[in-house]
Amino acid sequence: MHIPENYLSPATCAVMTAAMVPVWVHSVKKVKEELPKDKIAMVGVGAAFSFLGMMFNVPLVGGTTGHAVGGTLIALLFGPEAACLGVSIALLLQALIFGDGGILSFGANCFNMAFVLPFVGYGIYRLIAGNNKEASSGRIYAGAAIGSYIGICIAALCCAIEFGIQPALFHDAAGNALYCPYGLSIAIPAMMIPHMAVAGVVEALFTVAIYAFVRKTSPDLTYDAIRLENPASGSKKGHAPIFALAAVLIAATPLGLLATGTAWGEWGADEIAEISETGAPLGYTPQGMVDGFAMEAPMPDYTLGEMNEVAAYILSAVIGTALLVIIFKLLSQALRGKTA
Amino acid sequence: MIPEWMKKTEDYVPPADGGAFYYRTLKSLGGIMSRLRLESGREGRFSLPAGVRLLLMIALIILVSVTQNNLVIMAVGAAVLVRLAMMSAEDISAVVKAVLVAVIMAVVIFAPAVIMDPARLWNSLRVVAKILISVTLVGIFNRTTQWNHLTAVLRKAHIPGTVIFIIDITFRYIVLLGNLMQDLLTAVSLRSIGRNDKKYNSVGGVMGVTFLRGTEMNKEMYEAMQCRGFTDDYEGL
Amino acid sequence: MIIELKNVSFKYEKGAEPVFTDLDLKVEEGTCLAVTGDNGSGKTTLFRIINGLSFPDKGEYLYKGTVINEAYLKDNACSKRFHKEIGYLFQNPDTMLFNSSVYDEVAFGPRQMGLRDEEVEERVRDCLKLFEIEDLADKVPYHLSGGQKKWVALASVIALNPEVLVLDEPFAGLDSKKEAWLVDFLRELKAAGKTLIIATHKEEIIKDLADGTFMLG
Repeated sequence: MHIPENYLSPATCAVMTAAMVPVWVHSVKKVKEELPKDKIAMVGVGAAFSFLGMMFNVPLVGGTTGHAVGGTLIALLFGPEAACLGVSIALLLQALIFGDGGILSFGANCFNMAFVLPFVGYGIYRLIAGNNKEASSGRIYAGAAIGSYIGICIAALCCAIEFGIQPALFHDAAGNALYCPYGLSIAIPAMMIPHMAVAGVVEALFTVAIYAFVRKTSPDLTYDAIRLENPASGSKKGHAPIFALAAVLIAATPLGLLATGTAWGEWGADEIAEISETGAPLGYTPQGMVDGFAMEAPMPDYTLGEMNEVAAYILSAVIGTALLVIIFKLLSQALRGKTA
Repeated sequence: MIPEWMKKTEDYVPPADGGAFYYRTLKSLGGIMSRLRLESGREGRFSLPAGVRLLLMIALIILVSVTQNNLVIMAVGAAVLVRLAMMSAEDISAVVKAVLVAVIMAVVIFAPAVIMDPARLWNSLRVVAKILISVTLVGIFNRTTQWNHLTAVLRKAHIPGTVIFIIDITFRYIVLLGNLMQDLLTAVSLRSIGRNDKKYNSVGGVMGVTFLRGTEMNKEMYEAMQCRGFTDDYEGL
Repeated sequence: MIIELKNVSFKYEKGAEPVFTDLDLKVEEGTCLAVTGDNGSGKTTLFRIINGLSFPDKGEYLYKGTVINEAYLKDNACSKRFHKEIGYLFQNPDTMLFNSSVYDEVAFGPRQMGLRDEEVEERVRDCLKLFEIEDLADKVPYHLSGGQKKWVALASVIALNPEVLVLDEPFAGLDSKKEAWLVDFLRELKAAGKTLIIATHKEEIIKDLADGTFMLG
């Protein structure tokens, strides 16, 4: 579910990141309030645990395996706010160090996997398992299984919607998509079917297996135990604010997407001139921006005149030479590997 | 003293079982761990500070993502390829591998759209080119940056001390808990000598023990910090 | 010859200093070999090679005359039989415990062998009795003391009834009574025809138990 670079428009990425800011702020506040000082570093443990958990191959029928995100599990062990921060840090490291998931799409990935997934999963767990110490094991595990399953499916749905709105919002004059080419009617089934059939099952199995082990061996370490033992911090305010925040975000995010979407998608050179005039005191349109944002032409450099043809020619030569050097280096390394 | 069955030599024929999930997990984990341990990136003597390079990378990624001008994409692509060509063959092959995976995935995703509507070809090719450039950029950044310098970058960017502390801790725990996971998975694989009908118990065990050890190490670390005079002031770290 | 290493060299990665080069080692069936050497001399690496967890860069490792390499162990049946016949006690045995009860920990291997339920039960009970840890059967291995963890780990390896037992510093941290007990136990295993490879520095144990010493580094 890690959205790579360039499948979403930069505008979508910006909106999703903006949507995450209040969530992160809320989570930091809540974690500081709720966790005792000695548990601050637990967020780091949660992040490391989340990072490593995403490496884990979970066995499926017939010797096949799948990966879990583990968002609900982290929420069950560390609390949803700590989970949000932990999964966010894990996603940041994956994007920066391992190139897994884009850097611009970091906000969108956090929205889906660090916000929607743990909070939805945890909310459903709470609904099913109840709010007291006497909850039966059956209800707790049913809650963990159903919560994590629905959590990842809703996260996948958010991801599908982010993909699906791209062609409608960001296309050139001929109507051809500039980013993800599939609309909602394709993106939603394409994301939902594998998540509902496979990934959701993996997520539920993974969550229950680990949660059961921890409850059996050290029941005092789960978030439930910490919350119930320390009611002053945990259930005083509950999670109502975050659900209110979620409702606002879910309502506001599409509006933001539509607003910025049209603004970005429909920018012509005239509008750039306008924006630049009102935005900057200089009052002229930078030539580079006219070229840079000219979205109407599918192949702008065909129409840009001689200068650009020369530039393109030089660039092609540079690219060709660089590629030759790269191929030569790779070949000589492969040969050296064989003779050694 | 020892029971009779222990004195015998067994002619053992293992029952069939499909699962080899721990081998795969061990493999992907081993890759990650060795990257974190050893190949944390070689920073040349004259390379720009990590922060500048991070900003440069993000700026280029944004530029490539935003622009619809083929010339701009080509120019960034040329610059990225030249930089890549200057690296060692070993680093190049690591970056190229990651790029190939991303590009193949992109082609697979975009191909049906192009087949359905050939007019999409140019835009799709452009997105694939953008993906190629972005992934190469991240790859080059990884290969030339020591990840522990990232926290120094964040400190300069005036990110709160608590956040930096947590990120630092995360790196340390990924290495410590990752090593533990490797040992546990090795133990599971060595004793998985036949048909395991309760594979999820092993999954729960490996990750569960990793979690328990993580919380325990966290407690120990906090106590050690207190013994050395730490006063709960994470900002001052 | 049950275990034979011919001209084995190993390094962690390309370009690194080799851990050892041109190492030759032969172990006869039913004998006990003591492995000594300073920390960092490659004991654990050698043990990993013997257990098929790492593979030599140069040279060959033969188990019962079969070359053990990645291709051989890719075959599920081969690798499972191989791991069943060689038991390995880690230097840090508590990283070997991943079950939620001591009973399950010891039963993990036998349950997979296609034995009848009573046979599994018998094996596990025998092992728990042997190591005098019957009262721990329902305890969580993670919460046991260091010494208890070592016994549980050893019991869970012994429960597979391996032909070859590779023990990395099994005597470290044992009191003299437990040490004497473990020496007696290992002597009995040897008498039953099992092969032992033990990393230890304790001279008296080497004299008492080992047929040969292999010095690393």
